[in-house]
Amino acid sequence: MLERRLKWLAGLVLIWGGVIFCKLVSLQVVHHRLYAGLARARQEQVIKILAPRGTILDRSGAPLAMSVPTQAVFVNPQKVPDLGVAADLLSMVLTMDRADLYARLEAARDGGRGYFVVERKATWEEAQRLRGMAFDWVEISSGSERHYPNGSLAAHILGGVDFDEKGNAGIEKSLEADLQGAAGEERVLTDVKGRGIDALVESEPKPGAALTLTIDERLQFVAEHELAQAARDKGAHSGSVVVMNPSNGEILALASYPAFDPNLPPGPEDNPEARLNHASSVPFEPGSVFKVITLAAALETTRLRPESMIDCGRGSITLFGRTIHEAHGGYGVISMADVLKHSSNVGAIRIGMTVGEERMHEYVRRFGFGEKTGVPLPAESRGRLRGLERWSKASLPSISIGQEVSVTALQLAQAASIVANGGLLVRPRLVLKRGGQTVRVPAPVRVIKPETAVTMRQMMEGVVMPGGTGYPEARLEGYSVAGKTGSAQIYDVAAKHYTHYYNGSFIGFAPLNNPAIVVVVTLNGTHGNLGFGGRAAAPVFHAVATEALRVLDVPRDLGEEPRPVTEAGSAEDKDDLSIADLGSSEPNILEESDEDASAPTAPVGPTVPDFKGKTMRAVLAEAAEKGLPVVPDGSGVARLQFPPAGSMLRQGERIRVRFSR
Amino acid sequence: MATMPAFLGKTAHAGASVVRTAPAVARPDKDPCRLRALPLDDVLFYSKRIDNSRLVRAADPRARGACWSAVGAAGVLLVLLTGTQVPNLAGRLEGYKLEALKGEERRLLDERRTLELQEAELLSPDRLERVAERQNLVAPTAGQVVHLDGNKPDSAFALVK
Repeated sequence: MLERRLKWLAGLVLIWGGVIFCKLVSLQVVHHRLYAGLARARQEQVIKILAPRGTILDRSGAPLAMSVPTQAVFVNPQKVPDLGVAADLLSMVLTMDRADLYARLEAARDGGRGYFVVERKATWEEAQRLRGMAFDWVEISSGSERHYPNGSLAAHILGGVDFDEKGNAGIEKSLEADLQGAAGEERVLTDVKGRGIDALVESEPKPGAALTLTIDERLQFVAEHELAQAARDKGAHSGSVVVMNPSNGEILALASYPAFDPNLPPGPEDNPEARLNHASSVPFEPGSVFKVITLAAALETTRLRPESMIDCGRGSITLFGRTIHEAHGGYGVISMADVLKHSSNVGAIRIGMTVGEERMHEYVRRFGFGEKTGVPLPAESRGRLRGLERWSKASLPSISIGQEVSVTALQLAQAASIVANGGLLVRPRLVLKRGGQTVRVPAPVRVIKPETAVTMRQMMEGVVMPGGTGYPEARLEGYSVAGKTGSAQIYDVAAKHYTHYYNGSFIGFAPLNNPAIVVVVTLNGTHGNLGFGGRAAAPVFHAVATEALRVLDVPRDLGEEPRPVTEAGSAEDKDDLSIADLGSSEPNILEESDEDASAPTAPVGPTVPDFKGKTMRAVLAEAAEKGLPVVPDGSGVARLQFPPAGSMLRQGERIRVRFSR
Repeated sequence: MATMPAFLGKTAHAGASVVRTAPAVARPDKDPCRLRALPLDDVLFYSKRIDNSRLVRAADPRARGACWSAVGAAGVLLVLLTGTQVPNLAGRLEGYKLEALKGEERRLLDERRTLELQEAELLSPDRLERVAERQNLVAPTAGQVVHLDGNKPDSAFALVK
């Protein structure tokens, strides 16, 4: 009896064991892949390791554009079991309006949508709370979002990105390959509660390279602020400012008006002109500022010198059936330097005619017009310079005064740099470092002789001297300045004539002997006497250049001289107008300026001695003997000093002396 | 030790002697209302007094050796198991810590970037300009700032006017 029962028991155990064995074979062998996959899906998580887009910094390391991580919350409305409960939970965790969320969820579900974005910028804590709830209809994805902490500052340089963080304008677009990062992947083994146990990095993330621009945040702010102020005051519809280092081509500021905030997506109400970079993408007729090129070509290719006398024909010249006037009145025979100083159209045309078509065309090309400067900004314009074979007979006189040619502010800055740095064409550049590596500067190309550049600088200084078209607006306290005003009438293509709206512009650099900055200001669409370059653009130059010289810590090369003040709208407007067919009866007639510089108030204090060329020991001994406070800087012999020799030292002021070997 | 009769409450105590009697038949064999008997329902148990006072404990060296062998084997087995499993367990615990720290590191890095953005927004020139205007501050003019260290212009400066 017992034996029989034992046999049954053994049989049952055997069958039971056999069933288990078969199941094991099924699990471990037959369906191994399936169950291994299921186990992996439960025990392993593939986590995306974010690689943030490269940060864009200004030259001092201040961030201009950066990406910050975000947690986006999505739901599948078709999978939500109860919209009311879902709205309750999500609104509670994400601090949202419950009724609004419910309405949106309902609309999404009724619309048959399987994907609904609840919140794009949830905090890490909010995302963790939702993850902990483990709803199958809620999905949380980690991403990043581009931010521009300074709002509209340098917006035209930086550009913007789309929803996928891909650049769609500016540096963000042109240097997309450097800025974009590649996300990595990590396989994490998790326990039943989803806690990570072990991780294996499948692919390393590659963060985008940080870009350091040549832009100075402070200068950029001043340039944009002053430009916007001037544009509003003068009624200009657009404008631009470029501040450039003429020796290495670094663009310190590049402002365009109107501006936009790259943090906000473009809307239908936005002004499309605001997205245009007027400094690099929108060419304009330069007008009188182009006379600098005409005169430089004349100095290089003809026997004309600054003192050479030019017959300005008493105010008008008729060529090929077209009469060209001075803006007001006229000049008789004046020197070439005065042609530039007074911005005589007739004089510039006569000089241009002396240069000749071929050489004029060649020099215009040499100065970089008609081709892109090469800055890494999308949609850069090459301007318009027709080929020599397409020039008409009237082209040479027109181009001599800056008509029939269109240029960008950036090209003007590049051309002005040639005069400022002694005759070398230095390409403007915006990127200082790429991923920590300093970007190489291309070798400059000689365009004009050094002596020509020096002569041009001296002639351009006359523009900001009493009687010049840039006086007194463009004068800088403590610095010598060279410049040129321009007021080109805007051509009405429909009416086929020049209007009384102007492109007021000013190009200038300082200090004269060793220029540290070149500043180009353009204001498009100004009108009236206050819209000329000397009135509208030169004050912007003054404000921007003053700040730039302060920020760059450029030593003064002149004594303090109170700036002469002129009343706005007075009869001191300067004749710098490039006028095609403007009669003397036109309402925008300008008058010569009076030199009414107010007398400087006499400072009180000891006179500053001349320390130049002396050793530090001698300087300190002399200063101690006279009881003057001195701040020495460097070693060797005294090269620069401020305040300059002969000026009065104010109470509390110290003499700063820079020594070098 | 509780025995089955004790458990079923069917023990009989009859002083020093227990007499086993035949079970009383309460119902006829073929009673149609009678339920089926439980196994051993009809068995009666009784307790038997056992006197172990005469038993003497005697040492059994073989059994003692076997006992120690078993204890030793169990100990070795325990050490082996511990030796193989403890590193695994420790590794797993460290893995937990490591993953938690990695998550923390990521969170802190994210937080740092967010704070950097906030700092940049606070230091934006536009905001500083507005703050300066509210406090009637103006930018120094050129030459008004003297750097105390010529080699590091941004390191330190002093206003002299």
